[in-house]
Amino acid sequence: MTVAQTAALPPREADSVAASAVKAYQAEGRHADARERYTELVSRHQRRASRIAFHYLRDAAEADEAVQDAFVKAYSHLGSFREELPFEVWFTRILINGCLDRIKARTRRERWIVPVPEAPAGQRDFAERVAGRGPSPEDQVLARERRHKLAAALVRLPERQRSVFMLSHYEGCTSREVSALTGLNESTVRVHLFRAIRRLRTLLSHQLAADSSAVKGEKRVHS
Amino acid sequence: MSILDRLVSRHLDEDTLARIWSEASPGDGGPQHVHLAECAHCRARYAAFENWALEIRDEGVSEADDAFPPERLASQQAHILRRLEAAERPARVIAFPRLGRPVTASHGAPQRWVAAAAAGLIVGLAAGQLLDLRRSFYRAPTVHEMDVAQKGGRRNYVPPASAPSLASDDSILLYDGATAPDIPELQPLDAITPRMRDTDQQSR
Repeated sequence: MTVAQTAALPPREADSVAASAVKAYQAEGRHADARERYTELVSRHQRRASRIAFHYLRDAAEADEAVQDAFVKAYSHLGSFREELPFEVWFTRILINGCLDRIKARTRRERWIVPVPEAPAGQRDFAERVAGRGPSPEDQVLARERRHKLAAALVRLPERQRSVFMLSHYEGCTSREVSALTGLNESTVRVHLFRAIRRLRTLLSHQLAADSSAVKGEKRVHS
Repeated sequence: MSILDRLVSRHLDEDTLARIWSEASPGDGGPQHVHLAECAHCRARYAAFENWALEIRDEGVSEADDAFPPERLASQQAHILRRLEAAERPARVIAFPRLGRPVTASHGAPQRWVAAAAAGLIVGLAAGQLLDLRRSFYRAPTVHEMDVAQKGGRRNYVPPASAPSLASDDSILLYDGATAPDIPELQPLDAITPRMRDTDQQSR
């Protein structure tokens, strides 16, 4: 089945067909064809994969590397892929494991290396520079502040709660899908999701209360 | 709303709202809860809770999407394909270096000259020292040493009373005292040795 024909199929079936085709090409030694066909899978899952990696790692460059590693690993281990399992689930599992390994390695590194202070305001990240269209500078500052608070609250969640929350809420995965991705029981997934949202609400409302009291304090000082 | 109010009115608390929200699947079309269906107040609260959760999601998704604009995704895809291509290419064997030369090997020619000059200097000095030693072993005898040797070795030598004038080499050779010194140990040899004078007379 060609790329044009698979485009008409539902995403999961299209993935399965493409993965089978890549496997067959690899077995025949037609590596150029296999790579070309694999591009279809890469383009379909790249954005979602980058998003997941970014939520795990909170660093665009590292997330980029993690996504690349996951795609390369999936390609080289495609022989062990079983068609009855959705490619998306199989690939996302590879990606999440890679991200968790990176987090562990980072934690080990940070134990020994003093963190470099953040770049001054003038030197911004590549992503920030590119995304500079649309909202006003004030809105950007506020959005950045909100994101920072949300990220700080997410970091404070236990690892499993964070994973379940990101996959089900950010990526729109069902409990069954999250269960397949994380290896947790479906009911456990629901419990983790409930605990995660409850804790997030508490953390963010505490932050809001702290912010409003700080603003009140500032006003009192000025008056 | 205080706890007392909630108990009296039996409205849903935050935890229950969170539980209802977490149990509702994304594509279900809203929660199936009896109290929510009946109580407008709780429905409004649940709607606010849902909006808050949606805001969080939008914030998180837009942050990630901002970090990965289309250009970055395109470059990421190119990187992935390049890595796949590189992984399939047979590995290039790099020869193991025979000599552990330093990185500055490109400046070898002048260094070689300097080394050769240094070696030459060392060899020269060593040779000079050796020659000096040889000279000290085989040095020329002193005047005193010559006197001692003359006195010891030629004790019986008596110089002739009338020595010829040493005008030419021939006269020296014809001089009997020079060709036949009066040394007793050599006299038997002298007796059997033909003299130049004798051969000269025979040829005449």
